[in-house]
Amino acid sequence: MKAPDNPVLVIGAGPAGLQAAKDVAEFGVPVLLVERRKELGGAPIRWSYHTLAPDFRPTEEVMGPLIDFCQSNKNVTVMKGCIVDGYSGRPGDFHVRIKDETTKNITEKVVSSIIVATGFEHFDARVDPRYGYGRMPNVIGINELEIMLKQGRVVGHDGKPPKRVAFIFCVGSRDRSTNPWCCTVCCGVSIKQGIEVKQLLPDSQVYMIYMDIRTIGLWEKLYWESMEKYGINFIRGRVGEVYYTGEKLLVKGEDTLVRGPFEVLFDMVVLAVGIEPGPGTKQAAGALSLSLNEYGFLAPKIPNVHFDSGKEGIFLAGACVAPMSVEEALSEGSAAAMQAVKLGSRLMQKVPV
Amino acid sequence: MSEEEKKRKEKESSAGEEKGKFIIERRYVDDSRIIEPKKLELGGIDMSGRWGTLVLPRTLEDFDTEIYRDVEKLPRGGNIGKCWQCGNCTAVCPVAHAHSEFNPRYLIHIVKMGYTSEIKKHHEAVYLCSGCGLCSAACPKGVDPQGVMIAMSIAFKAHESELTE
Amino acid sequence: MADGGVVQLGKDEELELGKEDAKLLETLSSQRKAKFAFGTTEDYLKMLERMKELEKKGEIIVHHVTDDYDPVGVRTLSGRVKKIPTRETWQHKSCGQCGHIPGYISAFYWIMSELGVSYVDDTNQTSCTAWNYYGSGTSNPVALSAVFLRNMHAAYERNAYPLIHCGTSYGDYKECRYLVVMNRDIRERVRAILKKVDRELVIPEELVHYSEWLHVMRQEVAARRKFDMSGVKVAVHAACHTYKLMAEDYTYDENILGGRRPAPTSSIALALGSQLLDYSNWYDCCGFGFRHILTEREIARSFAYFRKIRPIVRETHADVLITHDTGCVTTLDKSQVVPLAQGYRETIPVISDSQFAALAMGAHPFIVCQLQWHIADWKPLLAKMGIDWQAAYEEYKSYLDKVKGGMKPAFIRSPPRHLQPRPHTKAFRVDEPVMS
Ligand SMILES: Cc1cc2nc3c(=O)[nH]c(=O)nc-3n(C[C@H](O)[C@H](O)[C@H](O)COP(=O)(O)OP(=O)(O)OC[C@H]3O[C@@H](n4cnc5c(N)ncnc54)[C@H](O)[C@@H]3O)c2cc1C
Ligand code: SF4
Ligand code: SF4
Repeated sequence: MKAPDNPVLVIGAGPAGLQAAKDVAEFGVPVLLVERRKELGGAPIRWSYHTLAPDFRPTEEVMGPLIDFCQSNKNVTVMKGCIVDGYSGRPGDFHVRIKDETTKNITEKVVSSIIVATGFEHFDARVDPRYGYGRMPNVIGINELEIMLKQGRVVGHDGKPPKRVAFIFCVGSRDRSTNPWCCTVCCGVSIKQGIEVKQLLPDSQVYMIYMDIRTIGLWEKLYWESMEKYGINFIRGRVGEVYYTGEKLLVKGEDTLVRGPFEVLFDMVVLAVGIEPGPGTKQAAGALSLSLNEYGFLAPKIPNVHFDSGKEGIFLAGACVAPMSVEEALSEGSAAAMQAVKLGSRLMQKVPV
Repeated sequence: MSEEEKKRKEKESSAGEEKGKFIIERRYVDDSRIIEPKKLELGGIDMSGRWGTLVLPRTLEDFDTEIYRDVEKLPRGGNIGKCWQCGNCTAVCPVAHAHSEFNPRYLIHIVKMGYTSEIKKHHEAVYLCSGCGLCSAACPKGVDPQGVMIAMSIAFKAHESELTE
Repeated sequence: MADGGVVQLGKDEELELGKEDAKLLETLSSQRKAKFAFGTTEDYLKMLERMKELEKKGEIIVHHVTDDYDPVGVRTLSGRVKKIPTRETWQHKSCGQCGHIPGYISAFYWIMSELGVSYVDDTNQTSCTAWNYYGSGTSNPVALSAVFLRNMHAAYERNAYPLIHCGTSYGDYKECRYLVVMNRDIRERVRAILKKVDRELVIPEELVHYSEWLHVMRQEVAARRKFDMSGVKVAVHAACHTYKLMAEDYTYDENILGGRRPAPTSSIALALGSQLLDYSNWYDCCGFGFRHILTEREIARSFAYFRKIRPIVRETHADVLITHDTGCVTTLDKSQVVPLAQGYRETIPVISDSQFAALAMGAHPFIVCQLQWHIADWKPLLAKMGIDWQAAYEEYKSYLDKVKGGMKPAFIRSPPRHLQPRPHTKAFRVDEPVMS
């Protein structure tokens, strides 16, 4: 079997895209990796995730080898700051237009198949104004806390470490007026961060205000440890309003187990902002004429089989299909890579379908 | 409780069951929130009773974890922090079938969260525990709720003056 | 319900829902957008469109805010520009207003006279009866809508534009307007009732609360300010029924409290140069609560004190709490009696925005603003504003003596029932606040 000449196009260099590119390249098949941003690594790098749930593994340990591989392997051609603008042709012989977003230069390339791994965006918490995000000091998103944790310095706007921290779950998730789906990772990520806050500031009090705890699978360990080892408290209920008193944040909510409203002062409020399909995914869908589901994620032909876009030669992977964790995004990248290589070899051998 | 509220309480009528009898929808208000001075006068006009009654809000205003810390330090109370409010304990508790006031899961929650106003309302219920230990066998987290009930009763005793003020 | 159908309102009382209406109700919750409010902006805009269609078809008469009324545009929560008439208004009074806080209305009329704008104080107005409805659930959509349109027709007859003083009437009318416009069955029944009292179905293009009038007139009011208000600290309470019933129709302004809270009332405090202060229970009810003040007075007064007055005083140390509805001024002021008698210390005077503005413009604190009827101590406020209240009180006493001697009291007179022919009109402007 001879490797096909035309490269596999991978759009998006997050965990899913990088893993796909690596796996394809390791088969000896050339890869064209197109990333809209100026750096590789996707959300974990862009947002400087400190560690990854569930094992507190430094992000670099997981992402570093993938990024290094793609940047140094001769089979991988990386095009940063670029998007795919349009395509024509058929599997094995797709003609794609790649546009450099700064110079606006268009490059035409011929590729054998396409893997779409354009990922997600964080929910913008300003859209749900009850939390005061963007208006009040010390109301931050989990993405921002992640950066603070990376710097090893969790402080309020006055430079002082917070004594009492509230995490509010499902911000912009599981709500008809914003996004009705579950982001699947924010519970685990919030709890991971709560533990890291306790490790950094052992005297702080950490409260998790949740609707349901969804630390699925082995992530459940985080939940147990946070309570049992770190003394983190869990309040079942929702928050109606956060009010900045000029000094502290008054969090008004209900503890549904007590069936009653609480109004308690906190020094910091961390919003577990959800995952939503971003403009990047929409752009790719438009360029490749892919269909989106009712929520704006890329719609696989059959919901159970993520990689199958329904279009021969175009495969899907990662958080552009549904909210997911890094571990899942990596597997999805790998699965899509397998499909691309399989298709390539089938086309090479002219094996009838 | 503020100084003002304490003073006001002293002036209140002592007949517990009579409290707030003027309030039309009395069943919505628990005793501890009613402030009803025995005698209230304004400009020579008697405002006692219905026209002088106030009802404090029921908002939970703080987490006061002092009792929780004490329970944790007591023998058999150390695992209270592991409780995640699943309710296995209450599900198997024989006493819960007889007394609406007795709910081991709930007692653990209000102590863990430090809801003093709720503890004040319910702390006496802890002595209803029969000590049968069914809950400790059922608890999936190894909290040992039966032991926690004992630890709580000791802690409540130690804090009795604050809880009954 | 998606196929349309009949909703039982009461015995022999049905509301027929067309397919479209039913679908609308069903999708209402899924379509709401979390921008500022969880509202029904789409439905509201649809209703306004429908109103135009009905007018075209000749099914209803729309009382337009024509240029004769010198309207000023304001932005509502929905983003739509709403026209606020500034003159030739028909004063739709509030039931409790004159009895509980007489200075509320006299101060408002005084301001209009000072600014030289014409208005009608018609005796031919009825209660909106929504008090009944919100308080005890009696009444029904048809009866409420009929009363609403009866009053609107009375204004139309006088050639004046309804300006609604009462937050409850204002909110109720918006809800009724929605029903009348969107539901043919209700509309026809109301039409039949109105026919019996020889009136037609006239729906105002805009429903306007007087606080919105004060909002658009704030620069004119401020221009006539007699006292330096810069040292006066103000907290504002907005009435639930003005901004929570059909929320998308009330006035907001990005430059006032960041557009997160309704603009009126706060805007007048700012325009007058006083310091506006925020507090944590801003969105809470005053305690009136409708059924609560009827059957749970203890809860109502306690709520007013413990959830509004006390936190406001502790958090803001404001000199005055101003608000814009009868129920709120009454509840927040009068509910301080019992706590003060019981020895609680925190207290704050509560007055309407009209009283506040009139005081700043130099109105008499007692003859016009009638502060003597207010419970919470207003003396420190007047002193801070630089008003010699002792001298004013002496004047008031001699005024009373004269009234006892047979003089006609300043504000008891035959109301003007008709307006002079309208002289000129100003060009329509959209309210652009001065950034501070
Ligand atoms: C705050 C937060 C913390 C998290 N922490 C963890 C954790 O601890 N552990 C864990 O397992 N998971 C975590 N996750 C989830 C994790 O981030 C995602 O599972 C993962 O990033 C998904 O990878 P992806 O490659 O599908 O998408 P992304 O990481 O979003 O990567 C997509 C890439 O595609 C690029 N792109 C987008 N559109 C285009 C386009 N049109 N053309 C070209 N390029 C494009 C983007 O710039 C981006 O680089 C967290 C999520 C959040 C919100
Ligand atoms: S993962 Fe947790 S926080 Fe995120 S949407 Fe789901 S339930 Fe809410
Ligand atoms: S069974 Fe255990 S974990 Fe569950 S509520 Fe009872 S004590 Fe808590």
